[in-house]
This record gives sequence, structure tokens and C-alpha cells, in this order.
Amino acid sequence: MQGSKNITINFIINDEIFNNITVPVRQHLGDFLRSIGLTGTHIGCEQGACGACTVELDGKAVRSCLILSSQINGSVIKTVEGLDDTLMKKVKEIFLKHNALQCGFCSSGMLITTKEILNKKKKLNREQIRTEISGNYCRCTGYQSIVDAIEEAIEDNIKDI
Amino acid sequence: MVDITLNQNSKLGSIDRPNSYIGRSLTRDGAIRHLEGGGKFVDDLILPRMVNSAFLRSPYAHAEIKSINISDAQKYPGVIDIFLSEHIDTVCKPWIGVLSHLGEMRSPEQSPLAKKIARWQGEAIAIVIANTRAQAEDAIEAIEVDWVEKEPQINMETALDKDTVVIHKELGNNLFWTRTVEQGDVKKAFKESSTIVEATLDFARHTGVTLETRGIVADWDKSEKKMSIYHNGQAPHMMQHIIAKHFDISEGLVRVISKDVGGSFGIKVHVYGDEMAAIAASKILGRPVKFVADRLESFTTDIHARCHKISGKLGVDKNGKFLSMEINDLSGIGPYSMYPRTSAIETNQVLNLSGSPYIIPNYKAVGTVVFQNKTPMCQYRAVGHPIAVAITEVLVDKAAKKIGMKVEDIRKINFIPDDQYPNKTPSGVPLEDLSHQATMNKLLKIMNVPDLEKQKKLDLEKGILTGIGIISMCEVTNPSPLFYGVGGAHISSQDGASIRLEGSGAVHVSSSITEQGQGTEAIMKQIAADQLGVSMDTIRLTLGDTDATPYGGGTWASRGAGIGGEAVLKAARTLKNNILKIASAIMQTDIDTIDIANNSVIRKNGGEGISLKKLAETVYYRGHEIPQGTNPELIATSSFYIEGIPFVFTNSAMGCQVTVDQDTGLIKINKFWVIEDCGTQINPKLVEEQIRGGVIQGIGGALYEECVYDDQGNMQNATMADYLVPMACEMPDIIVDHVITNSGRSILGAKGAGEAGTGGAPAVIMNAINDALSSMNKEVTSQPITPEKILKAIGKI
Amino acid sequence: MGKGGEEFIMKSPDFCYYEALSIEDAIKFKSNDLESVILAGGQSLVPALNMRLSSPSCLIDISKIKELKNITKDNDFIYIGSAVTHSEVMQNKIIIDHLPVLIDVLDMVAHPAIRNKGTHGGSIAYGDPAAELPAFAVAANAEIILMGLNGIRTIQASDFYHGLFETDIQNDEILTSIKYPILKDNQKILFDEIYRRHGDYAMAGVVANIEILNNEINNLKLVFFATGTKPEVALKTSELIIKDGYDYSNVKNMIKTELDFESDLNSNAEMKLHLATILTNKILKLMET
Ligand SMILES: Cc1cc2nc3c(=O)[nH]c(=O)nc-3n(C[C@H](O)[C@H](O)[C@H](O)COP(=O)(O)OP(=O)(O)OC[C@H]3O[C@@H](n4cnc5c(N)ncnc54)[C@H](O)[C@@H]3O)c2cc1C
Repeated sequence: MQGSKNITINFIINDEIFNNITVPVRQHLGDFLRSIGLTGTHIGCEQGACGACTVELDGKAVRSCLILSSQINGSVIKTVEGLDDTLMKKVKEIFLKHNALQCGFCSSGMLITTKEILNKKKKLNREQIRTEISGNYCRCTGYQSIVDAIEEAIEDNIKDI
Repeated sequence: MVDITLNQNSKLGSIDRPNSYIGRSLTRDGAIRHLEGGGKFVDDLILPRMVNSAFLRSPYAHAEIKSINISDAQKYPGVIDIFLSEHIDTVCKPWIGVLSHLGEMRSPEQSPLAKKIARWQGEAIAIVIANTRAQAEDAIEAIEVDWVEKEPQINMETALDKDTVVIHKELGNNLFWTRTVEQGDVKKAFKESSTIVEATLDFARHTGVTLETRGIVADWDKSEKKMSIYHNGQAPHMMQHIIAKHFDISEGLVRVISKDVGGSFGIKVHVYGDEMAAIAASKILGRPVKFVADRLESFTTDIHARCHKISGKLGVDKNGKFLSMEINDLSGIGPYSMYPRTSAIETNQVLNLSGSPYIIPNYKAVGTVVFQNKTPMCQYRAVGHPIAVAITEVLVDKAAKKIGMKVEDIRKINFIPDDQYPNKTPSGVPLEDLSHQATMNKLLKIMNVPDLEKQKKLDLEKGILTGIGIISMCEVTNPSPLFYGVGGAHISSQDGASIRLEGSGAVHVSSSITEQGQGTEAIMKQIAADQLGVSMDTIRLTLGDTDATPYGGGTWASRGAGIGGEAVLKAARTLKNNILKIASAIMQTDIDTIDIANNSVIRKNGGEGISLKKLAETVYYRGHEIPQGTNPELIATSSFYIEGIPFVFTNSAMGCQVTVDQDTGLIKINKFWVIEDCGTQINPKLVEEQIRGGVIQGIGGALYEECVYDDQGNMQNATMADYLVPMACEMPDIIVDHVITNSGRSILGAKGAGEAGTGGAPAVIMNAINDALSSMNKEVTSQPITPEKILKAIGKI
Repeated sequence: MGKGGEEFIMKSPDFCYYEALSIEDAIKFKSNDLESVILAGGQSLVPALNMRLSSPSCLIDISKIKELKNITKDNDFIYIGSAVTHSEVMQNKIIIDHLPVLIDVLDMVAHPAIRNKGTHGGSIAYGDPAAELPAFAVAANAEIILMGLNGIRTIQASDFYHGLFETDIQNDEILTSIKYPILKDNQKILFDEIYRRHGDYAMAGVVANIEILNNEINNLKLVFFATGTKPEVALKTSELIIKDGYDYSNVKNMIKTELDFESDLNSNAEMKLHLATILTNKILKLMET
């Protein structure tokens, strides 16, 4: 029984299968994703407080800065680069329409968070939307346009069922 | 809100013509790259042979470095080298953060890394170069420093006392700069005033907290003797100049590239020692060096802002007319004045701007700026405005309440009337094209003050403290050469634009303004397409590259649209003229009979035209078909700067309604309104989003944000968990509407819109809270207005 | 940050990683390597590692051990496995039906993405004085179930917390589950906290366990958090309230005598005392509704 400082693991990112990849265990998932060129995931605080690094791990939004890459063995990960289903394409259009981003640094985290909100298929009012994104920091927009966009995305998503 | 999709400026041509884009809320299509994860931020960059860096930083606010031992650390895995000040100084010359046009400023030389004495907690001491950032950090832990702690100078209020520690012995005391502005006879006017009100306000230090931290990749190419800098800055040409100067490189051989920037707000327009050290390391090692600050470094080394204590006095006559205003402002800026803008400007703006919406014939302002052993302080979004606007608007409210006038009425009778411009601020700075009366009238109308007052009464009967606040303000935008250039700083107040028609019929625009998310790309495209007569999709844009764009100042002081936009407009008009001349030669018709619309040269009274693609092809490939002597230039470059005045001011009026919880001290902002006049709106949606984002940052300063220090100068809350930035849940929706008074200084007529929100929100929130507390005869005077301060004010704790 | 002498660092130190296959496996590893630590959701541990506030030799990942991921119920108790995430607790049928107040409590714990990883046992074991769950466990009369080399032992939540981040967990032990008594018909748990931003640790908070008899409070247990070094029971204050009802000054004086208030960056001790008093009133008002 022994731990190790490097670990060889398998995982799937944005539908691409990665087999026998060796990662340093201390590297967090955010840094790992960026090291393989998936730089759409941004690192903002490395404390879980800003939400910029949020990715989807096994169907759930998580902070990639608070997960060690060694922990993703057998997992399925989605990052902003992989949000290309019909639903998320539409969401991106809605974000553009409302100018729900300025500098773009928070956008990947906001989109992943929005994806999780939409997965719930529940109507939310503006206050509830604000609560759902309360862990995602945006310094530029003041949030209103993001709330506008998510509100429309929810409407749109519920309408389709 | 009212969707102003109409171009309000007759100088720009009719609004119903094809390709009329100025004034429309078009989607910012280029932003899609961020939603696809395709933004190009500095930390995304990986270059061949690139190495990473981390800094050993001072853990103390003030300490002597007796010795540093790096020998163990150098042996750590992955470590390439470790440099101290003495190494870095061999390639980088020191700098001094002073200007010459505002009276004597005294700040010592500064080098990238501290020598012998560290003067703030977080100051860089050594740079470790390693293969990975984690390895560099491992090595930092192995550097041995023999520190001797010195007594820190923390408190700005005692900075000039006799027995206070002097941070820079050679200066004799802790004074950096002081200035007095005086207009009229303040003493006499106060004597003549029937009512005098006074206030003293405190503004804590806060900082920009850009979501993307500062970052740089420096790549010294020995073979070409060329330095390429990938930098998330706001002013590439300024950096080019500074890097050339301090690293002794020919300026033409320094290339600065600033692509996507994850928020800047003034934080990223200064010269930072750690970034200079990374450049130096690249020059020494001859390979690319990356430095990206982590959040701890960001909190302790990004410039801080505010940190003011201001007292003010306003004298009014019995009709409520303002006779005299006096302010005295004290600010603490850390141990050095920042380079190259200096740390005097925030105070200078406070002196310039206080009282600016009003006629106040007698005015005196004294500013004192002192050194402290804290993080350096400098210009951040809405430089000085929150302080100037708050002291003015708090005093105005006080005067109104004291003489029994409505707060809106006292403002109305004292505004500089909209039809009396050009005019001057009480401090003597020229003003033109402003609309305080119109904006205030519109604000009061959409707020529906009588209804709010009714609700306030009903609330009070139920024991709920509701308050309403209003303010009016001026915002400094579009600075002219009289701002920095005149003081000896090589900071361009000019911006350039270049536009060319390519063989494919595509139009390429380059501008010296950069994109930080505010929408530079979108508005430059709108202006170019609108003025040229082409569709938006024909335009491509290059920004943020000193090798590829015209020279210019970059993005700061809300100058992109007004100055950079005008340069694009002028270049587009010149190019259009060139195109029409060529077309008239090809089409054998008088130039007056043709125009450009929908990507083609058209005959005004019908008949066959020629597409721009065809025209370009003819020029580029079949010049022989064009009559000889025709000027074939399908490229035009223009420049613009503001002439004759220091700034193009804008104005706005803001209102808000808050509820103060008497039990918990928590404040809820129920409603927030802004009426903004920024002249021509190139894209109203983007203007509104600047206002909203700005207001939320202002709310941050007013209610949440503070760099908390202990009495030893240690920052206590340098994490995103502990430093409270505004998050979505607590923020209000903001209603924005407009009044439009075009600037007469340009054809475009646009002023700036980026900073009003941040400048005005702190004042209007303070006024609303104090209105809520007025039923108890209490007030708060210190920002951020925390629950604790509220409870203290109302005697609950 | 804080006192001088710390480094400006945001990347974890070097350590090794071990994915435990079973509880026994984890215990064995832990007792062999005293410098190793348990990794559950990592939502408190990894931020601390990123700042190098500790440098363990090895992380023992227990988040994939099946036996730790169940929520079960018998006649009198609900058992929440230590590695069940906050989100899983909030969506669990047993919790929705029998302990719904826990969902309201968890709604105040951080943000959805953190709740998707952070675990029930991790929060209880970590014992952050400002965290909701430790106070909830104490108020709900929960028992903490621990397993070590010597087998299983159970300890009352109120005895589990010793001081600032100090608990009764021994070096070889792992927290395996939390055992919550099912509420009686006349029993309620109420919760409130005061915070500046949603999802932040509170400035002060309270969890109350109340038994009603003939429309009167028969039994009251007030547990405060984010006030001192650990969740604290205010026994005498509860008695005072049952006897005399709520009066700001009386309650404040009583709370002051029995609780140790500690200032933090969120609010100072004086403020916390005031808020604790206010919260007591809020709870009583909640009870009436
Ligand atoms: C931005 C942010 C905001 C947050 N806000 C809140 C909040 O408002 N309220 C709140 O309560 N929490 C908050 N948290 C913390 C969160 O709830 C964590 O989930 C929780 O504190 C720890 O759970 P974990 O599973 O992540 O534990 P870990 O981080 O994995 O472990 C924490 C500690 O407990 C030990 N440990 C974990 N499990 C066991 C076990 N089974 N046996 C023995 N030891 C164990 C570990 O060794 C470690 O020392 C926040 C976290 C973040 C990042």
C-alpha cells in the first residue's frame, strides 16, 4: 500500500478519450486542463471563491481549482470548449444577445453554471437566478445582463419540453 | 429602457441610410470567442523554451534585509536561476514616479526588486525562474532571508507627525505631494453665508480585483535584439516606450502585444516591479519568461485606490444658493509614487472635481498625499471621483436639510444651467456641453420621488428604515495632452487608426485602443462601417500590438470611444474619399454624383455602380485600367487628440432607494437609477453596460470592499474569500436612461462613459442611507458602510 | 495571509495521493503514515493546500468508498454517510421527507458547485467554527460515528468539538457517518444566520432544537456558530427564554455570560454578541409562524 506523486489515469474530456495519462498529483484540475491546451477554463483565485474555473465533472458543476487531477480517474469532464450541443449553442447566442459578458474571463464558469441551472428544467425568478450564480464573480457586467441571459435561456429551455 | 437606436448627431449623416450603425445596439459578435473558450489571455500562452517565475516577497511591511541565501533554493528541482535586485539592476534602470506640472512631487528611485529594505508587505525581493510555477514556489520556501523588522508607518493621519518613522530618510519626512487650489475669497464668503454645513468622510483602501490577474510573458530574442512582450495591459505603446527606456533597447525593437485582457479598470496601466523583473530575467536568460500573479500577489501588489480622509464645508445663503466651499483631503499612497502616472492624480482629481456640477463662486481645496508602508496606491476606475462626488453631494444634502429645502430643489437652483456652457468647475477647470438640469429632471421623473417618499413614510410607520438618495456629478473623460504629457510623462493623449480596403473587398481597421471587454472592437467596427458605407461583416480589426497598430495612448480615462473612435471616423472618411476619387476616375463621373453604400460605390441617381471588391481588384491587380495620375491609396491613417481643454467632461444623475435593517445593520439596495449624458452613443447597449458594471463597482467600494490592515501593516484579507467583492445575489438591477449632449470637440461627438457609475454610486448610496437614518438623527460617514458601522451609528453596539 | 513570515504562494506543496478502496484500507494507510490526511470533497482541504497552509505527506482519498456514500434510515435515526456530498443530501428522499430543515441549512453552505463536491462528513470533521453543519449536528443531538484501528465508536456531536478546528478524531480514525435522531411530532429544528453575501460563512448563526408542549416551549436548545471557536450551546439562555420570553438586554447579558465570542474578519466580538441576541429573537419569531 503506497501513495504516489505521479499517477497514471484514464478519463474523457469533451468526448475525447484520454488513456494512461500521467499527471502530477498535486496539480489541480484547472491547471491540468490548461496544460493540455484547454485554456478556456480560467484560474481566478485557487480558493473556490471566484467560480471562473468551474467545469463539469461527471455531470456536475465543480471548481476545477479544488480538485486534484489525480482525482479524475474514470471521470467524464466537460469544459467550455465542449459546450457544442444544441442547448448550449443557443445559450451562447442568448449570452451574446444580452451582452452577458465583457472581458470574457468569467464566461466559461458562467456557462457551465448556466448549464447546471438548465439541467434542472425548473423555472426560476431573477432572485433565484442570482442565488444560483452567487458563487461566480464577474467584475465587468454588474451581473444584470447575465441574469437577463439566464432568464431567457431558462424560458427557452422549458418551452422546448 | 428607452432603446436609442437612432443616431443623435447630424454631423454623422442621416440615420435611414444603409449601413447606419452608429447609435445602434448591435451585438458584440467578436465576443463569441470567449463563449467558445477561445479568448487569448496572457496565461494561455506557451512559447518554446518558456520558463515560469515566482517571487519571494516581503512578509513584513517594513524590514531590512540583512542577508539572503539562495544557494539551497538554487538546487531545487526545475529551478533555472534566482535573481536578486543586484542581478536585475544590471539590465534594468530604476524609475521615479513624479510629474513636473503639478508642483513638487517627491518620490525616491525604485527598482524592480527591493534592495536592502522592503517597504510593503508583498514587495518583491527575489525572482525564482523554474520550469513550472509550482517548482518556483517550492524553491521560494528554501530561500533564507535574515530579516530585521523595522517599525512600520501605517497610519496616514500621523504620517507627518514629528516622531513618526520616516520611510525614505533622504526625503526628511513622509510627504509626497501637496497642492492648494483657491478661487475667489473663501473666508469672506463663509462669513457671508447664512448657513454652513460640514462633513468629514473616510474612504477605505480598496483594489481592482480584475478576475484575470496581472500577467506578462517577456521574450528576449538575442539574435534580433528584440524584446517581445505579451502583456495584459491597457497601454501597449506606453509600455513599449518604458521598456525600451529602462532596458536600453531601441524602441522600435520592443513589441508589446496586449490581446484579451480579463478586466483592467486602471489596475493594469502602471509599471510594476515584478513585471519589470520578469522582463529582466528574460533578457538575462535569453528565453521567454512568464509571470502571472496569483490572487494573493494580486491583492498585495496590484495598486490599491482611495484611502482618503476628506473634510469639507459648504456655505449657503438663505435662499440655498451656494457661496463657498472648502475641502481638505488627506491620502496615503504606500511607500512609492507609481510610475509613470504618479500617485498624485487621485487627490488632484478630488481637488479639481469637488463641487463641479454647481456654481460655487468661492472655492478652496487642499490636498496632502503621504507615504505609508502599505501597497502602493494609484489610479483605479473613476480616479478621485467617488471622494469628490461624495463630499460634494453629502454637503449639498446637509445644506438642504438644514435650511429645510428639498434635496432636489437645492441642486436645481445651484446647477450650472445647461445653456451656460462653456463654463468652469469651482476649481477653475473648463467645462462644456453638460446637462445637469436635463439629467436631474429626467431622473426625478423616472424615479417618481413622490411615490418613493410615500413609501418611505409607510415603511417608517412599520419600523422599516427606507432612504432615498440622489446625486449629480461630472466625469472626467477623454483627457488632452494637458493631463500627463504636459508634465513630462510619455503617455500619448493621441490615438491613431488605420483603415484599408483589401483586394477581397474586406476592410481592415487597426486602432491604438485596446479591448478589455468594454466593446472597443464592436464600436470601432460600427464607426468604420458606418462612415465607409460597408456592412459590418466586411470589417476585420487589429488591436493591441505595437508592431501592427498606429501609435496611441490605449485604454484608460474613458477615452477609447471619444478619441480612438474619432481617429477611426477620420480615417474612414479619408479612405472613403480616396475610394470615391478612384471610382470617379474609373466610372468617368463627377465625385459628387457617387457614394458608397452596401459595399459598393453607387451612383446617387441610379445606374450601375462598382463593388468595392471590384474596385480594389482593379487598383491592386489591373492598375493600368485606371487613368494615370489617380491616387491609388486604399489605405488611410488618422490621428486625433483633444485640443484646447484638459478633459471632455460628461455628467450624470443617479438615484437609489435603500433599506437599512436596524437589527443587523445590513443594507439592501432596492432600486438604482442612472441618467447618463455621454454625448453620441455609438452603441447604447454597451454604454448602459459600462454604466451598470461601473455602478456595481461603486457599490463595492460603498458597502463591501476594503483592504484590511493590522497595525503592523499586514493585509488581513488578501483572499477572495475574505475581501468582499460584489456578487450577484446582493446587487440590484439598474435602470439606465440617457440625455444626449454631443461634445463639440469632435465630429463623432462622443464623450466617455466608463467611470461615472463607479464615481457616483458611493455618494448616492451614502446619501440614501443617511436619508434612511435621518429619522433617528443619525448618519454614517465612512466607507465601506458595513453593518457594524450602521449599528454603531444608531447606537445598537 | 496574516502575520508576517508567510509566503506568497498558491500552488500546493508536493504530496502523494492514495485512493482508498475501503474504510479499513483508509484507516490502515492513515495509521501507517501519521503525516497523511483524509481527502473527502477537498473543498476545505485543497484551498488550504493551495496556500500551503499545511504540507501533508499523502492524501487518502475516501470520496469513492461506497459504504461512506449512503443515506439510510431506521425507526429512530437517519444515518448520513460521511462522503455524501451536500448536493446529494439536498436531493435525498429520506432527508426531504424526514429532515427537510437540513436542506435549508445546506442552501446557506457555499455555492452549488462547491456543494457538488463538499461532503457532509468533511464539513463535520473539519469543524470550521463558522460552518453550519457542526452547529446543526450539535443542535440536532446527532452522534458522530468514527472508525479506527480499534473498531467503531460513537460520540455526541456536542462532545466532538474541542476548540478551534479541534475535534475528537484520533490519528487512526475516520468519520464514517452522522446519526441524526428523527424528530418527534412536537419537535422542530429552526435555523437562521446573518451574512453579508449569500454563500459566505456567516457573521453569526444559530440552530435551535425546540420541543413544544401545549403551545409552549417545553425544551429549547440554542446552538450558535460563527461566534467563537466552535459551535456553542447556550443552555442558560434557553432556560431564560422558556421562563421569561425574549427581552433584548436580558438575553444579551445571558448570552454574554455563557458564550465566548471571538472576532473574525467578518465581524467583531461585540457585533457577534449583538447578532446572536437578534438571532435568538428571529428564531422565536420563526417558531410562531
Ligand atoms: C468558496 C467556499 C465557500 C464555502 N462556504 C461555506 C459555508 O458557507 N459554510 C460551510 O459550512 N462551508 C463552506 N465551505 C466549505 C465546504 O462546505 C466544504 O465542503 C466543507 O467544509 C468540507 O468538506 P469536504 O468534503 O470538502 O472536506 P475536505 O476539504 O476534503 O476535508 C476537510 C478536512 O476534514 C478532514 N476530513 C474530511 N472527511 C473526513 C472524514 N470522513 N474523516 C476524517 N477526517 C475527514 C480532512 O482531512 C480535512 O482536514 C466553503 C468552501 C468554499 C471553497
